[in-house]
Amino acid sequence: MIEYTIAMVMVGSSLVGCISGALGGFAVLRKQSLLGDSISHAALPGIAIAFLITLTKNPVLLMAGAMIAGWISTLLVMAIVKRTIVKEDAALGMILSVFFGFGLVLLTIIQRLPTSNKSGLNHYLFGSAATLLASDIKLMAVLSVITVIGLLLFWKEFKILSFDSDYAISLGYNVNHIELILTFLTVTAIVIGLQTVGVILMSAMIIAPASAARQWTNRLGVMIALSALFGAISGLIGATISSQVDRLPTGPTIVLVMSAFVAISMVFAPAHGLIWKRNRRS
Amino acid sequence: MNTVVPAVSVKDLTLAYRDQPVLWDIDMDVPQGVLMAIVGPNGAGKTTLIKAILGLLKPSAGKVEILGTSYRQNRQNVGYVPQRGTVDWDFPTNALDVVLMGRYGHLGWFRRPGPNDRQLALDALDQVGMVDFADRQISQLSGGQQQRIFLARALVQDAQVYFMDEPFVGVDAATEKAIVQVLKNLRERGKTVIVVHHDLQTLTEYFDWAFLLNVKQIALGPIETVITPENLRAAYGGRSALFGNK
Repeated sequence: MIEYTIAMVMVGSSLVGCISGALGGFAVLRKQSLLGDSISHAALPGIAIAFLITLTKNPVLLMAGAMIAGWISTLLVMAIVKRTIVKEDAALGMILSVFFGFGLVLLTIIQRLPTSNKSGLNHYLFGSAATLLASDIKLMAVLSVITVIGLLLFWKEFKILSFDSDYAISLGYNVNHIELILTFLTVTAIVIGLQTVGVILMSAMIIAPASAARQWTNRLGVMIALSALFGAISGLIGATISSQVDRLPTGPTIVLVMSAFVAISMVFAPAHGLIWKRNRRS
Repeated sequence: MNTVVPAVSVKDLTLAYRDQPVLWDIDMDVPQGVLMAIVGPNGAGKTTLIKAILGLLKPSAGKVEILGTSYRQNRQNVGYVPQRGTVDWDFPTNALDVVLMGRYGHLGWFRRPGPNDRQLALDALDQVGMVDFADRQISQLSGGQQQRIFLARALVQDAQVYFMDEPFVGVDAATEKAIVQVLKNLRERGKTVIVVHHDLQTLTEYFDWAFLLNVKQIALGPIETVITPENLRAAYGGRSALFGNK
């Protein structure tokens, strides 16, 4: 029985790392790393509201709530940047804290409810791979497949959007549509990881594997594949450690493993690594 | 193709940022087969004009037609070379891949470039003297080489009308010569090329038409009728001493 749990943890968390690593590649290249941070924090009130309405912890409903809230936050950020003089970093910071604060308030309210099944929602803060059920993993797997298909289908469009969006417009592409699709996939990737990693550190899953992967290659395809691989390995190692140690939250453990990947890549990678650069100079 | 129809026709185009007009009531008919420079002082709206024609900026008023129909219907016939500084050259890709992007308009959504597109991209790289750099990571190219890659990307679009934004800025003399040769070849093949240019010295040598602009249009036509002392004074004001200075 214990082995079954560990297997669940390993499958779930490597899935999370893989998908967020792949989508994170485009977020980092588009200099939108912080969008992931805003989306994941903003998901918290969505989860809480979904629970308050249904009073169940059905993973489909909670993820749907997270997704809707993540979407609303992204659209708000875009609207603020477009219609006011406020710049993107400030808009992201504002939306992130407003949504996250609201989510914490809702969590507190939920804790005072007389219902019996409220425990466990706090896991969404720091993540808990050990509580993943087979039903959670099934849902995560379905969403992962959708995300990967989307990534492969729109590969060329995502590439040109990330490199030269004005040129894409001149070719006749509706870049708003491409951007919406990419953002939708990014929101999905983040939502997949919320239960395992938690809303607070989920953005690291978007940023870190891609930053490490960028050090090793100058090819987009290789970078995205490496990013997915680094994410999967970090998720696997981190979640396995955390599920073996009592009360060790999964999110921080995965992020620490991932940081090791980033540090090693920054120092040792050929061409871009610090050691390489230093040797070339001398 | 009907050669009487202008390559580009702009009518009553006005564009403003926060009530400040950047382009004011531009009327411009560019005949097919010319090599035209858009000239004017800094802040005259040269880049803005190109971007408004290409639909990258929304004009407050006015109409643009390419070869007699709306730009939306004629996108396949329009090639574009943006300013080199507008993209991140650290992007993980190589020269051939960037040139292949010029085929994306023909491919449309979902379809990936095939062997035929690759061959066209290699041919375009050859035309700009960059075929040996096809596999080179773009950050490892010089400014001039990057500009040639952008030019090759537009060539592979196989368009009728080309817009180029300051293609000679920050490039070496050899690249400048190579680009001019490509532009002249395009004109010989009946293409129309419109280039934002600000070096008045090379103007008459490179181009046969010009559009002189400073928010409002000053003059349009064959280069010798446009580049006159009176017109330059009208465009550059007291700064007409700039002529021959740069």
